[in-house]
Amino acid sequence: MKNNIRIERAILNITQQQLAEQIGVSRQTINAMESNKYVPSTVLALKIAALFGKKVEEVFILEEGD
Amino acid sequence: MQFQLLLPPKYKKIGVLLFVPSLLLAILHRFNDFKVDFLTVNLFEVDLNFTDEIALTGIILSLLFIAFAREEHEDEYISSIRLKSLQWAVLVNYSLLILATWLIHGFPFIDVMMYNMLTVLIIFIVRFHLELRKNRIANPEK
Repeated sequence: MKNNIRIERAILNITQQQLAEQIGVSRQTINAMESNKYVPSTVLALKIAALFGKKVEEVFILEEGD
Repeated sequence: MQFQLLLPPKYKKIGVLLFVPSLLLAILHRFNDFKVDFLTVNLFEVDLNFTDEIALTGIILSLLFIAFAREEHEDEYISSIRLKSLQWAVLVNYSLLILATWLIHGFPFIDVMMYNMLTVLIIFIVRFHLELRKNRIANPEK
């Protein structure tokens, strides 16, 4: 699964730390998701999408093989 | 929040503080036959000394404290690192045990079993903290 977190974060102009704080996770988690090292839980994905004002499938995209 | 069987973060420090004296006591007992006199109890006509019991209990408790103290920002990603590290530690621990079973015979195997009581926790602690650190270093504040 890939995601647009980095792009959406750039649009809002916030840092990984700020995003992490607003969602209540560690900054490492944001970084791991942005570098496709970690697939978040549904709860976390929903929170992130809500913060960006997008639907989950606009932020998180299934890939071939998922 | 999901339910987690973890201790408050301060237990990591408590664990380290307990580990050092327990390990020292264990080493002194093992290699110098050191015994704390007031820990000798006469049970059923036999003098029993509880120095090694105290030392091993201290070591096991301190390792459990260190291993299962919650990280300051324990979220789902850190939990996943924790789980992976634990699986890795169990695998490595038992691989080493199989290796030792075939390589070490007779009386010295008692030593292997003794150390093996603790290695799974030690390997887990080292692996988990290395993974956390790797993550922090690969990930400097931008």
